[in-house]
Amino acid sequence: MATTARPAPEHSPDAYGEHSGLWSWLSTVDHKRIGILYLYTALFFFMFGGVEAIIIRAQLGAPNQHLVSAEFYNQLFTMHGTTMIFLAIMPLSAVFFNFLIPLQIGARDVAFPRLNAFSYWVYLFGGIFITIPIFFAVAPNGGWFGYAPLTTRAYSPGINIDFWVIGLQILGISSLAAAFNFLTTIINLRAPGMTLMRMPMFTWMAFIVQVLLVLAFPVITIALVFLLFDRFFGTNFYNTVSAGADPLLWQHLFWIFGHPEVYILVLPAFGLVSEVLPTYSKKPLFGYPVMVYSGILIAVLGFGVWAHHMFAVGMGPIADTFFGLTTMLIAIPTGVKIFNWIATMAQGAIRYTTAMLFGIGLVALFTIGGISGIMHASPPADLQQTDTYFIVAHFHYVLFGGSIMGIFAGLYHYFPKITGRLMDEKLGKIHFWLTFIAMNLTFFPMHFSGMLGMPRRIYTYDSGQGWDLFNALSTAGAMIFPIAMLIFIYNFLVSRKRGEIAGSNPWGAGTLEWTIPSPPPEYNFAKIPTVTSRYPLWEGKEVDYEDARINSQEGKTAADLGIIMPYSTIKPLLVALGLIVMFCGLISSRALIGVGAALMIFSLYSWLLSPLEPEHH
Amino acid sequence: MNGSARLRRLASYAFVAALVVAAISCNEAHPNSTLTPHTDLGREIDFLWDRLLLLGTIVFILVEVALIYVVFRYRRRENQGTPPQTHGSTKLEIAWTLIPAIILVFIAVPTVRTIFITQAQAAPGSLEIDVTGHQWWWEFRYPDYGVTTANEIYLPVGRTVNFRLRSADVIHSFWAPQLGGKRDVITNRTNYIWYTPDTSIAGNVWNGFCVEFCGASHANMRFRVFTVTPQQFESWVAGQKMPARFGAVGPAAPTTGPIPPPHEGPAVTTPGGPNSPTQAAQAAAHGIARQSSGTGAVGGTQPAIPRPQNAEANPGARLGAAQFPSVAAASAAVAQPGYIFPREKVPDYAIPHTPIPPGLKFTAGLTGNAQRGLKIFSGAACIGCHAIAGNPMAMGTTGPNLTHVGSRIAIAAGRFPNTAAYLALWIKNARAMKPEVIMPTLGLDEYDPVLKAKVTSATGGLSDQQIADIVAYLTALK
Repeated sequence: MATTARPAPEHSPDAYGEHSGLWSWLSTVDHKRIGILYLYTALFFFMFGGVEAIIIRAQLGAPNQHLVSAEFYNQLFTMHGTTMIFLAIMPLSAVFFNFLIPLQIGARDVAFPRLNAFSYWVYLFGGIFITIPIFFAVAPNGGWFGYAPLTTRAYSPGINIDFWVIGLQILGISSLAAAFNFLTTIINLRAPGMTLMRMPMFTWMAFIVQVLLVLAFPVITIALVFLLFDRFFGTNFYNTVSAGADPLLWQHLFWIFGHPEVYILVLPAFGLVSEVLPTYSKKPLFGYPVMVYSGILIAVLGFGVWAHHMFAVGMGPIADTFFGLTTMLIAIPTGVKIFNWIATMAQGAIRYTTAMLFGIGLVALFTIGGISGIMHASPPADLQQTDTYFIVAHFHYVLFGGSIMGIFAGLYHYFPKITGRLMDEKLGKIHFWLTFIAMNLTFFPMHFSGMLGMPRRIYTYDSGQGWDLFNALSTAGAMIFPIAMLIFIYNFLVSRKRGEIAGSNPWGAGTLEWTIPSPPPEYNFAKIPTVTSRYPLWEGKEVDYEDARINSQEGKTAADLGIIMPYSTIKPLLVALGLIVMFCGLISSRALIGVGAALMIFSLYSWLLSPLEPEHH
Repeated sequence: MNGSARLRRLASYAFVAALVVAAISCNEAHPNSTLTPHTDLGREIDFLWDRLLLLGTIVFILVEVALIYVVFRYRRRENQGTPPQTHGSTKLEIAWTLIPAIILVFIAVPTVRTIFITQAQAAPGSLEIDVTGHQWWWEFRYPDYGVTTANEIYLPVGRTVNFRLRSADVIHSFWAPQLGGKRDVITNRTNYIWYTPDTSIAGNVWNGFCVEFCGASHANMRFRVFTVTPQQFESWVAGQKMPARFGAVGPAAPTTGPIPPPHEGPAVTTPGGPNSPTQAAQAAAHGIARQSSGTGAVGGTQPAIPRPQNAEANPGARLGAAQFPSVAAASAAVAQPGYIFPREKVPDYAIPHTPIPPGLKFTAGLTGNAQRGLKIFSGAACIGCHAIAGNPMAMGTTGPNLTHVGSRIAIAAGRFPNTAAYLALWIKNARAMKPEVIMPTLGLDEYDPVLKAKVTSATGGLSDQQIADIVAYLTALK
């Protein structure tokens, strides 16, 4: 680690030789490189959503301000939510799914490498598709929840909502394809000895998230198909101008997807801190089986709590009681996770690395989001809280305090594995503290503005309502985020080129991914290891030293070692492109639908007929 | 040691900052606080909230203290070896599964009890109010009294009010935070919420909001609730049931017959030009629009209808555009129909402070004539959407009922104060005053963003003088 000369690590992407250059990225099917593509794209969208948030907070910094129009504000908050959920947090989780799952289970790639590339390209094109309209002030403007009948053609005649409906469908294709891929990978490609109960906790949480995705995304797909048909073909699922339509159908379908979606957003972060906290405490995760079961329980209960988003809808006392109680129940497994994390650190030897600080930050901040969550699990109490800034405070403690803190913990923790170099810890800590302060200064006052009666999604508010101070504080806090983010980006870009060489296991972690070089060679493991415990590197007596020796050999290509790797191919990109062109046709020229479909079918046909990898000898 | 001193200093800074925030915050009035309930429903919710806050705070402190203790206590020491490799503890894990479960029981039991109490049917004899949410205003009907109003409701204290909630278009949500919880107003459905205002809150105004995102002007869909004594309420209802009158309310005013002849209308005091909208807004917001009667403005000065018996008690009859009965008048008015919440008692938080959007101008110094205004109103696009009981031409139903619009404190669903200056600009160019409002632009030569054209006299454009006349007419409708 203390190397002064800093040559490029031998397996860094630059060292791949023929594998560098634009074409190699467009045609890659390597799960690690796809993970890196996800990383850069998702970070871009994270900052894009952040800029939208900054404008929102600037507008709300004082009463009766008019920096942006009501119409544009509504586009901003719709796109802030949509961007952060579908284009930032989910893909940031996908960075780790892609990069880590094969490494943690001892596999050479995911089960369907080309499908994996397809998922990324669909995500990228879908993200561009849904983001472009804001530059022309025709972005979706119905909220990320898109309640009908506001989103039907009768009340939203413009193309704004069309972009949203179609964009989410496109992104759903990406998520579903990826979910099936990772499910198959985790079930089928585990190394010998990697039993389910030896899987690293991140892979466990990723596994649960894929199940959630597979079960939840079809529901939103159906809901969106209904809305699409209402808007384009005059059906009457939600179109209340005609008789028989029921706008509550949308709400139920949306939240049956929407609540599991919350766990889709937060469980990967839970998985990441479950790797980070043990590593820097030098102790195994406390209560591993209970952590697994609580994750499963959260996922199962997560499908039975959706209507707690609807307590003001007037569903009646029985439904309110049922959903209130199930929501309270879900707090128990969530609480167990918090306590087990604290117990993991207790009696440990804690190192305050940046990753660890973000991990501790998650435990501290998610707790607040969890407690405020219980406060609106009580339906009568929720009648004073729902659709106010109290809710905005709550879910930002969950999604920023939970997901984003966990993702940053993961980024700092795995940066050396991804790039082969260490990030600057000093800048990292400044980034953490600025983020921590900004986060609390922005979102904690929102608890007060909410309880003092401030509704959500208002582009302006009058003076004298008792909200001025708390809004000013929130806006002041929000202005710190860009500083923190710039420091992170600077650190990221500089460390990527000039950081200290990391070595295979800079943090002294215990799981399989740290047994191989950083960055890992394209084949990951020269010899597929045999796993005998949860932390093979810590329980030294159980490490197969022969495996470790072979796997730490650097500079050997797959060909040197006789390992068969999949061909790189551009076809998944072309299929994704055809798909997008087809969808674009729906809102522009119908001829484009034919062009897109032709491109997609031709590329798919060609993809399916070409072999994945050279024949085995 | 150095580290802990720095930590202590940081903590003390944070503590001082929190104290400063608390002090400023206590100074600021909180007119929409959900923490000071004034109804039975509000108190039921507040009871739950207090328990949630107490238990939540205890859990918060315990968890965060445990976390902070662990993080500092188990910091890695120099030359520390491998810590004990514990894998879990069944006893501990059962404990921290059961303890939260027990805490939740203390939340769940009163929660379920409250759900069934607050969602029971409203008691018989409750005051029924039909609420209809529109993009972006509120229609209120009192079916038992035959009264229709918009954006402002009067509630008698001590009597349960049962709101029957319907939507004319998209989903809205009805909420007056100080009075109780919210309930969504859903297309193709009827919802209910009921509560009983405390008798102690007679003589107060409360803000209400739409809290379900409903389109461009969601933020501009506010309403006001006046809680008054039962006597004042009866008087108000009696006044509201009468058709539109000019300035005068009272038993002397005929309740049937032809459109009452108007008297002179108020002057329209408008911003002195594009440079002083703020000044105008302030003046208007505080009801300082000037009267015309004392300044020798044109128009008949003799009301053609009998003056109310007590002109002093009804200064509105004296044509002040923004004047409302005084406090003394209010109590005097209790015995007779036509009680209006005294304007001087309306707290600052209930009077909108929205500045006039830039670029709007109105000719200064115009004096409106209410009689002319009536004629212009009855022949203009206005009647297509607005109803005014007593004006047989004005039968529209898509816009707010304007029968007693002069008695309201705000226009545009709580976006602007109801003064001549704002009303004139509103009629002239509503779409510039409130985003995407359905009301068309009426001012001559104003640009209409929906029609994408300037309004001409061929398309029904009104001159500033004509608008001033309409304003005179409308402000006189007490």
